[in-house]
Amino acid sequence: MQVTGSERIVELDVRTQDVDINMGPQHPATHGVLRVLLRADGEILTGAQSHLGYLHRCAEKIGENVDWVQYLPYTDRYDYLSAMNNNLGYSLAVEKLLGQDAPERAQYLRIILVELNRIASHLVAVGTYGLDVGAFTPFFYALREREMLLEIFERICGARLTYTFIRPGGVMNDAPEGWFDQVAAFTEVFDQKWPDYWNLLVENKIFIERTANVGVLSEEDAIAWGATGPMLRGSGVDWDIRRDQPYLLYGDLDFDVIVGKGYRGSVGDCFDRNYVRMFEMVQSNRIVRQCLDRIREGEVQNEEVGMSFACPPGRSYVGIENPRGELGHWLVSDGGKIAQRCRVRAPSFVNLAVVEHMLPGCMLADAAAIIGSVDIVIGETDR
Amino acid sequence: MNHFKQDSGWGSSASILEAAEKTLASLQSAGFSVELRVPNLPLLAPDGEAKRLKKKAKEENPEYEWRGDSYIVLKDSASLLDVCRHLRDELGWEQLIDCTAMDPSAESGELLGCYQFLSLSLKARLSIEISISKESPEVQSVTSIYLTADWHEREASEMFGITYSGHPDPRNILLPDDWEGFPLRKDYEFPEEYHGVSCK
Repeated sequence: MQVTGSERIVELDVRTQDVDINMGPQHPATHGVLRVLLRADGEILTGAQSHLGYLHRCAEKIGENVDWVQYLPYTDRYDYLSAMNNNLGYSLAVEKLLGQDAPERAQYLRIILVELNRIASHLVAVGTYGLDVGAFTPFFYALREREMLLEIFERICGARLTYTFIRPGGVMNDAPEGWFDQVAAFTEVFDQKWPDYWNLLVENKIFIERTANVGVLSEEDAIAWGATGPMLRGSGVDWDIRRDQPYLLYGDLDFDVIVGKGYRGSVGDCFDRNYVRMFEMVQSNRIVRQCLDRIREGEVQNEEVGMSFACPPGRSYVGIENPRGELGHWLVSDGGKIAQRCRVRAPSFVNLAVVEHMLPGCMLADAAAIIGSVDIVIGETDR
Repeated sequence: MNHFKQDSGWGSSASILEAAEKTLASLQSAGFSVELRVPNLPLLAPDGEAKRLKKKAKEENPEYEWRGDSYIVLKDSASLLDVCRHLRDELGWEQLIDCTAMDPSAESGELLGCYQFLSLSLKARLSIEISISKESPEVQSVTSIYLTADWHEREASEMFGITYSGHPDPRNILLPDDWEGFPLRKDYEFPEEYHGVSCK
């Protein structure tokens, strides 16, 4: 086709061939073993296809073959950055089938632990997101505070990553002496250090240029694609399960839900998603402080629930607010000691699905920024 | 034992029941053939019940007593698409949170397809089940209404051998393309080897 202007003739049909580019499975920006097949026309992406399953460990099949409590360690392994939250989601679903509750002290301990775990998880998310867009230093600052948290976890349950601490009916053991002081010290330190990440990373001009107006996910798309967690809130939807369908004692606690408003660009861009994570850490810290004030002496395990039990027949679905979105466990019992069906609704799996549709039309260099902003953990997408 | 917060929090089975009852009435008046299943055990178990059930499970299976969430059974699975459209457009169930299936037992002639809905405006949840015969496991795909069903249906399809008619891209997602059998069916037999790698 030729367009004849007043002075010159412009050729518009210079055709180039689209190039297929393999991103992953070992690409560092895919945060694990994810392979994204990109198709690019020059610098512009024209298509994307995710290939997953490299880390598929058959968690749902295992759930149909082991006892209710024996399955608990497997929950640690889906989202290994927030294992406490995974333990909690599964334990609540089992408790719902049993019709049992955890004692008050155990509930506060659970909230403290899952919120600390949320901070640890978001620190990795924000730190590695800096790596994805070219900022190396903030990652080490983030890991410095995460190290304090891992020591707190190690002290209470002996493990740094896969805890198996929260279990049906309560928690494994009470906190050791001085543990609450250690947590209180962390909340102080974290408040002092948080501005470092803000100044080093989020307010950095290069970071804003790389993330603002990039990978925009509209509110309608976020809802239609089933996005949850920071991905949904980043797109401007005011929804948090902790506030809107409270579990544990969240209904009594005071915290704000952070929603993306297009702070540096448009609503639902990569900057907003990162912004939501940054401020959620502050809110989690607030929740931990409130729990430290309220926790009283008492039991930490419901004696009715032992280590080996049969659940009454029935179905229970429990969705909780994980750092990455809604982690749902749909358990079906036929009255036995083993689940008939153990379905895991993994937030990363669902949030990743929309990426294929966000990438076309973006620049090739933004692919890493967009995939990173979803904050996926491959252990969870593949289960 | 300190039982508290009975009707709020995770034990919101009461709110699930309330939402299910309202939805049921609307679906029935729209002419769909639906049925509500409500648990008949109390939400919170009285002291000692766990021990009783543990003992009882050894003797017999108390099928008539169950606990947990109530759910709606859709008797005519051919009306699934219309029901989903009605749920989203008329009743405000904006999100399909999960879509999966289950195999009750190796002897059973049917699979169950399960759909979990979430309404951000009503702050409520809903669960719908349909039955799928094992002889011709075919269901309508709901991707045209809830985009998120895409990957969920691909997963259920490879794990249970269900064909979702109308699915835009029915490839395997977690399993390799040449995997044989449907792993989450109860009559699945683990393979001896896969491409020369021993699986035992």
